[in-house]
Amino acid sequence: MGQQNQHHDHDHDHGHDHDHPHAEIAQTGMPGYYEIMETAVRELLVERRLIGPDEIRRQIEVLDSRTPALGAKVVARAWVDADFRRRLLANGRTACEELGISFYDDTQLIVLENTDKVHNLIVCTLCSCYPRPVLGLPPDWYKLKAYRARAVVEPRAVLAEFGTIIPDDVEIRVSDSTAMVRYLVLPRRPDGTEGFSEEQLAALVTRDAMIGVVPVTLTAPPAPGGTLQ
Amino acid sequence: MTATEHLVKRLPNDIGGLPAEPIQRVEHELEPWEKRCHALADVLDFHKIINTEEKRRGVEALGSEMVGKLSYYERWIAAFANILFQKGVLTPGELARKMAEVEARFAEEAADRKPCP
Amino acid sequence: MPSPTPAHGGRIPGVVPADGEEPAFAPGDAVRIRTLSPVGHYRVPLYLRGKAASVEAVIRPAAIDNEEEGYGRNAGSRRHYYRVAVPMTAIWADYRGNAADSLRIEVFETWLERI
Repeated sequence: MGQQNQHHDHDHDHGHDHDHPHAEIAQTGMPGYYEIMETAVRELLVERRLIGPDEIRRQIEVLDSRTPALGAKVVARAWVDADFRRRLLANGRTACEELGISFYDDTQLIVLENTDKVHNLIVCTLCSCYPRPVLGLPPDWYKLKAYRARAVVEPRAVLAEFGTIIPDDVEIRVSDSTAMVRYLVLPRRPDGTEGFSEEQLAALVTRDAMIGVVPVTLTAPPAPGGTLQ
Repeated sequence: MTATEHLVKRLPNDIGGLPAEPIQRVEHELEPWEKRCHALADVLDFHKIINTEEKRRGVEALGSEMVGKLSYYERWIAAFANILFQKGVLTPGELARKMAEVEARFAEEAADRKPCP
Repeated sequence: MPSPTPAHGGRIPGVVPADGEEPAFAPGDAVRIRTLSPVGHYRVPLYLRGKAASVEAVIRPAAIDNEEEGYGRNAGSRRHYYRVAVPMTAIWADYRGNAADSLRIEVFETWLERI
């Protein structure tokens, strides 16, 4: 955001420039055009009693309660409990519900297991379908054109850009989520974790590993890559 | 195929397999209004005022220029407005008047926050 | 809630399933994703139109056609979605990778034809 401000200062006097959604905030402390629209739509719907006054706040609490830590808990349990793993692969949703993870939408969950022979990768080419109940909201790169356009045509090149090299003899399965089904990748348990507790294992599992773009490793996950939007 | 057929046949969001740039691993913490917009989408779906599939269709219907240039939640809120008009839940005039009212209120609040001269 | 067997079963004598109630395809079936061009809304990406696929799983229970749902028909036609597998080399002529690499996607029943 600060960066944007600098750009503007150099570029032009833009008191009336509406090209950038946050220009108004940077200049005046005033919410932008789309925030005004969001506020107006929400207030009209509440005034008409089509939605309740507390429903948005309550749903924000639900959204905030969903983070990749939930998915990591599911993965770690599957690594230590073979029966759970079987149930998880048979029906992702009911197995997650066993761990107290509720699904607040109508979606189902297919859990895709990575092995030494198969590597799974998830994408949504048409929009941004994502296992929100277990991972929270998706990162921007998952929703942007580069990943959505390329993951289905050159998955190995895309994975390499995440630093993940998949050997030629490992089969890649790309799942394009478009309908009512969401996917979660069950990554491979890293070697050298034999003595780890379930909690220690869960701490190793990253969001990106459950999308399938990186493996789970023993080293600390890298700092969130790239520039901030 | 006629010169324009492809514009009808390929929705602006249908980009699987198209040429694209290298991946940039960008992410940002949602702004409060973006999170409210996401929660609004969920609540509208729960009540089937706008179901998730209608929201997707509404975004597609914005056309390729808006799909390409608006940010993610900007597309959503613009789509919600259009769908609510189509369904007769709101009229364009009602939303315009409400937006003017909200904008005036925000301006007043911003003025109140400024230190006195 | 997905269940491994259909709740209605169709096993009670005299009970006849409605049209579309039972899945038309089963795992292992060879199918083709149809070449249709819906106007306005669809959930079958262009890059898969006309491609031969094999059915991997039936998604249960049956669900609403999302092309109808996209226009607010919340009680639209219900049929099954199928998780299908398409070899990458069948989608992209110049695909680079393992010949076994594949694409998986859920497709609504009306978009599939038996081959």
